[in-house]
Amino acid sequence: MSVLTLQNISKSYGKIQALNNLSFEIPQGCVFGVLGPNGSGKTTLLSIILDVLKADSGSFLWFGQPGSPEQRKKIGSLLETPNFYHYLSAVNNLKITNSISGRGDYQGIDAVLQKVNLFERKDSRFSSYSLGMKQRLAIAAALLGDPKVLVLDEPTNGLDPVGIAEIRELIIELSKKGHTIIMASHLLDEVEKVCTHVAIIKKGSLLTTGAVEDVLADEDTIEISAADITALAAAMKDYGNNIKILPDGNFLQVSMPKGTARLEDVNNYCFSKGIVLNHLVFKKKRLEAKFFELTNN
Amino acid sequence: MYSMTQIVRTEWLKIKKYPAFWWVMGITALTYPGINYMFLNVYYDITQKRSGSGQIIQALLGNPFSFPEAWKTVGYFSSIFIFIPSIVIIMLITNEYTYKTNRQNIIDGWSRTNFMVAKLIDVLLLSLIVTGIYAVVAFVVGSINTTNLAAPRWSMAFYIGLFFLQLFSQLSLAFVVGFLIRKSFLALAVFVFYFFVEKISVLILSNKYHNEIGEFFPLEISHRLVPRPAFFGKFDEKAYQASLEAVQYHVGYATIVLIITWAFCFWINNRRDL
Repeated sequence: MSVLTLQNISKSYGKIQALNNLSFEIPQGCVFGVLGPNGSGKTTLLSIILDVLKADSGSFLWFGQPGSPEQRKKIGSLLETPNFYHYLSAVNNLKITNSISGRGDYQGIDAVLQKVNLFERKDSRFSSYSLGMKQRLAIAAALLGDPKVLVLDEPTNGLDPVGIAEIRELIIELSKKGHTIIMASHLLDEVEKVCTHVAIIKKGSLLTTGAVEDVLADEDTIEISAADITALAAAMKDYGNNIKILPDGNFLQVSMPKGTARLEDVNNYCFSKGIVLNHLVFKKKRLEAKFFELTNN
Repeated sequence: MYSMTQIVRTEWLKIKKYPAFWWVMGITALTYPGINYMFLNVYYDITQKRSGSGQIIQALLGNPFSFPEAWKTVGYFSSIFIFIPSIVIIMLITNEYTYKTNRQNIIDGWSRTNFMVAKLIDVLLLSLIVTGIYAVVAFVVGSINTTNLAAPRWSMAFYIGLFFLQLFSQLSLAFVVGFLIRKSFLALAVFVFYFFVEKISVLILSNKYHNEIGEFFPLEISHRLVPRPAFFGKFDEKAYQASLEAVQYHVGYATIVLIITWAFCFWINNRRDL
C-alpha cells in the first residue's frame, strides 16, 4: 500500500513553474528521498502535501484518502526551518505541538528531548538556542508520539558532523521499526546512506523515481588502468556497442549496458590486444554521479 | 470540528508565558484606573472649591463618577486607552508570521479555519479580560463616589456589554491590520497612527465642517457605543441626547463591521498560501 500518492501536481508562482505535473507514489515502510538542485521544487512539494501551499492542479492522497488535518496530526513533520515560539522553552513549544496534534504526552516530550540531546536545555527559551539546537528541537517535535510517517525537509541542516551521524542512525532505526520517512535533501551522500527509494526532480519536473538500486543500476561501470593509458582507451573503443569511456586521471571509467560488464572478458580482451591491465575493478555507481548525470542534462 | 477546548488550551499555552501579554495587561490595569482617577481629581478640584462656584458647578454637572452614571463615564474615559490592548493583539498575530508558527500549526494538524478560530478566541479572550478590568474600575469608582445609597447601582451596567462590544470591534480591527501587514512594528505603527488620525479627523469633520460622516469611520462606529458622560449634556443637550439615541444604531453598525471583518479574515486565510 502507498503511504502517499501524488497525482499530476502542478504549482506556479507567477511565471515561475515550481512543480510541473508531478506524479509518483511512496510505498509504506520506505525511506524516500526527494532530491533536486536548489530551487527544484522539493520544499514546494512537501509544503503542498502538508497543506501549507495549495496546488494549482492535481491532487495527493495520504493512505488512499485526500489530505486532511486529521491525517496531518499523525505525521511528524519538519518543513524548511524550525518554526517555534521564540519566547517559549523547548518543553512549552512541544506542549503546543502535543496540544494541536494530539501526538505524545508530557512524558513523551521529555523522551524525545532526550533522544535529540536537548534535555539539559529543555527549559531554555528557543531564542537562546543555536541553529543546530533549533534543528534538534524540530526533529524532536516531528518524533513526538512516535508517528508512523515522518516528513523531514533537510533534516541535517545546521547540524555538526556528530549530529548528522546521529540523525542518520535515527532514520535507519525508525526505518527498521517500519516507519515511513519522506525526506528532502541535497546531501546526496546522506541520502544514499539511508534512503531505500528516491525521486529526483529538476525545475519542478520528475526526472526519475524508484528504488535506489534500480535508479542507480541502469548501467555497469568498470575502472581500468594500464601503463599506456592512451593505447588502452583506443583498444576499449572496439570492445563492444554502447560503450562510454571517460578518462579519470590515470584510470578509465568504462560504462556499458547493465549486465554486460564481465571483468574476466575485459581482462582477456585487453591481453589479446597486447595490453596488460594493472587495475581492474567493478564500480558501484554513486548517487551523486547519477544525480549530476540526470540534472545536468 | 476540532475541539474548541483544545483550541483554547493551545492559545493559552502560547499566551500565558508571553511576557508582552503580561506587560500590556499590567499597563492596562494601571492606565484604566489611572485615567479615571485623573479625571476624578479634576472633577473634585473644580467642585470642591470653597467659593460658591464649586457648588454651582457640582449642582450643574451632577457627579459623573457616582452610580449609575459611573458605568458610562468610566467606560468613556477608559476607551481612550483601547490602543494599549491592541498592541498585544497585533503582536499575537504578527508573531505567528515572524516565527512561521502559522505554518507549523497547520502542519501539526489544525485546519486553516481552526487557526482563525484560535485567533478569534484570542481577541475575545483579551476583550473579556480588559472588559473585566473596566468593570472592576467602574464598580470601585462608582462605589467610592456614590453617597446616595438609594441610587440605582446597576441600572446602567449594560454599559459593560457596550464597552465589550466596542473593545471587541476595535481589537478586531487591530487584528486585521496585523493579519494583513504581518510585520509587527509596521503593523503597530500603522494601527496607532490610524487610531489617532481617525480621532482627529472625526473631531475636525464634526467641529469645523459640521459633518457627521466621521461616525461611520471604522473605529468611530464602535467608539460611539459608549457616549460622553452626562455632564456634556449641560453644554449641548441636543447633541448629548442624539449621542444616546445613536447607541442602538451603532450596536447594529458595529456588529455588521465585526461580521464583515472576521468573514474577510477567514476567507483570506482559507485562500492564501502560508
